[in-house]
Amino acid sequence: MIEVKNLVRTFKSGDRTIKPVNDVSFDLEQGTLASIVGKSGSGKSTLLSLLGALDKPTSGDVVVNGVSLASMPDGKLTNYRRRDIGFVFQQFNLIPNLSAVDNVMLPMEFAGVRKAARAERARQLLEQVQLDPDKHGRRINRLSGGEQQRVAIARALANEPKLILADEPTGNLDEQTGEHIIELLSTLSRDHNTTILVVTHDRALANKTDRRFRLQQGRLTEETARTRATAALTG
Amino acid sequence: MSVLARSVGNAFRNKVRTAAVVAVLAVAIGLALAMLVANQAVTGKVAELNASVGTVLTVNPAGGQGFEGGGEPLTSAQAATAAAVPNVSSVVGTKALRLRNAADIAAEAASGRTGQGGPGGQSATSVTTSLTAAVDAGTLGNRNQAGTGASGATGSTGTTGSTGTTGSTAQAAPAFSLPITATGIGAEVDSTGKALQLTQGTGLGNYTAASTGALLGTTLAEKNGLKVGSKFTIQDKTFTVQGLFDSGTAFGNNALYVTLPTAQTLAALPDELSTMIVTVNSMENVDAAKTALQAALGSDKADVTQGQRNLETAVSSLDSVKNISFIAFVAALGTAGLIILLIMVMLVRERRREIGVLKAIGAPNRTIGLQFVLEALVLVALGSVVGAAVASLASGGIASALISSSSSTSAAATGQRGGPGGFPGGAGGPLGGASQLLTSVTASASPGVIAAGIAAVFGVAIIGALAPALLTARIRPIEVLRGE
Repeated sequence: MIEVKNLVRTFKSGDRTIKPVNDVSFDLEQGTLASIVGKSGSGKSTLLSLLGALDKPTSGDVVVNGVSLASMPDGKLTNYRRRDIGFVFQQFNLIPNLSAVDNVMLPMEFAGVRKAARAERARQLLEQVQLDPDKHGRRINRLSGGEQQRVAIARALANEPKLILADEPTGNLDEQTGEHIIELLSTLSRDHNTTILVVTHDRALANKTDRRFRLQQGRLTEETARTRATAALTG
Repeated sequence: MSVLARSVGNAFRNKVRTAAVVAVLAVAIGLALAMLVANQAVTGKVAELNASVGTVLTVNPAGGQGFEGGGEPLTSAQAATAAAVPNVSSVVGTKALRLRNAADIAAEAASGRTGQGGPGGQSATSVTTSLTAAVDAGTLGNRNQAGTGASGATGSTGTTGSTGTTGSTAQAAPAFSLPITATGIGAEVDSTGKALQLTQGTGLGNYTAASTGALLGTTLAEKNGLKVGSKFTIQDKTFTVQGLFDSGTAFGNNALYVTLPTAQTLAALPDELSTMIVTVNSMENVDAAKTALQAALGSDKADVTQGQRNLETAVSSLDSVKNISFIAFVAALGTAGLIILLIMVMLVRERRREIGVLKAIGAPNRTIGLQFVLEALVLVALGSVVGAAVASLASGGIASALISSSSSTSAAATGQRGGPGGFPGGAGGPLGGASQLLTSVTASASPGVIAAGIAAVFGVAIIGALAPALLTARIRPIEVLRGE
């Protein structure tokens, strides 16, 4: 269970104060597949970084299974990211001189998983995201954008996290692979009780999630059937 | 993939840069190692000089030296007196014997030459042996024998040098055999106080107790077909060869050593010493100790002499080379550390995003720091391999250059002081014999010194890599996303 309470993040830009996340509150039950949509610069990525303990809020708190991230020391935040969070970054952020399988093994290495076990799981995950087995040992910089995206998703799943934060997970994938990834995320959410929060421009993907949020000028609102209809009418 | 494997992989990410870094490191490390090798060589030489001639005083009977002169022999009581003199760290007594081959004596007697062979020898005693001398008398030996025939009449053994031949007539006489010098020693040192260089076998153990063991010079053993374990006789007593030594000279190797009590027993002079080798605790105290020793023993009973005084200048010169090489070693080591520091700072700055990603997926700070330290050590290891090769080739030349430069400076300084004729001894320039000692320093890159140097390089590299590695702890993972 994730509870977000009055979350605010401000930045100084010259004399101006920018609030990409402005008093955001919501909660997600474990196993929920949720999406956040919004225009570029609306604060979606900032919100994800706050939920994933990559950044600290100016005020407010994120409570995960009853534990407040705001009061957590840096060492425990590292453990939290390693154990409980899986990130899929918009620009993949894979280690370029490592192979696909080595990249997927990295979070497991940090978690202390034995080498043979992590190699086996890494290959399974890469097969799950439909990366050609011939390309498992290939260096990242010799894979296409779509293939890198799949490796990034496999890496996010490596330690079986409770929460997956995905920034445009299907943005670089063809329609068929995108469909497969959406199906994979749905399965994880449903069968493995994993909470998944996806930031996307892909309306099709958003429509397949259990809950949908819209972020506008730092404020988060949940879309219901009624608000979606209104939004469709107003364009 | 482990942290180590990742570090090795990262070290070779940019091969051109890696080659350049390794080359620069190799120069710094090679220079550091060469300086260390030079420093160790000079330190060893200084220690050797200080331990041997530089701090050694020789005590002879007043008026006598070796087989020459006259006076009263030294005694064990005088050795005890010498040991009580301040700053004296050890006193080693010796008893010299002249060994003559029994068959040679008989042959010489038959040809009319019965001299015991040699001058006076108030402090030496002639005894018979089964050994044959390894040095032929030659022109010099026959001339010396002829010239000293008269003095042989007063030899301590009471044998009579009756040939009475002199000058050119001596050279025409039948060749005689040279005696073999046997020395009883109270410690494993030669008659000048230098440690015996054993080439085979072992020492004699307790040199202050009677023993049937002997140490033979290599050429003497070869001449007599002896090896370690072989037997021979002196005064009809059987001795066993326990070791072979190499003194470095043909004369020195025509000799043997037994324990001091054994020599005294063979000479039937149990309390008598030929010389005493007195070692002073430091070079600074040599003059004071010499004066005190002379006073304690009495100038009418003992002559106290010091080894080559110009060694002080040689040692001083070597000391400056030692200091220069040490400073250069530290400077080159510091340079290697600085190179590592700068390279790693550059790499950390270049890989900030990657460090952020690693932190975002849960890498602890210590793992990331360790990865960078290991990467630095991989570069240093490569630099050390090349540097060690450079050092092994260059250390001899660098040491020689430093020493010759230092010798020139000393010579120039001596000339400016205007001393009449420079240093005594004259041979080979103002430093005399000392200059030869300077050039005899051999800087060989021993594995131990290279290993110690590389350990120091790694120590400095770890310090150099730690600062950038600690910098990685300050990188916040949000910087990864903020750039998107």
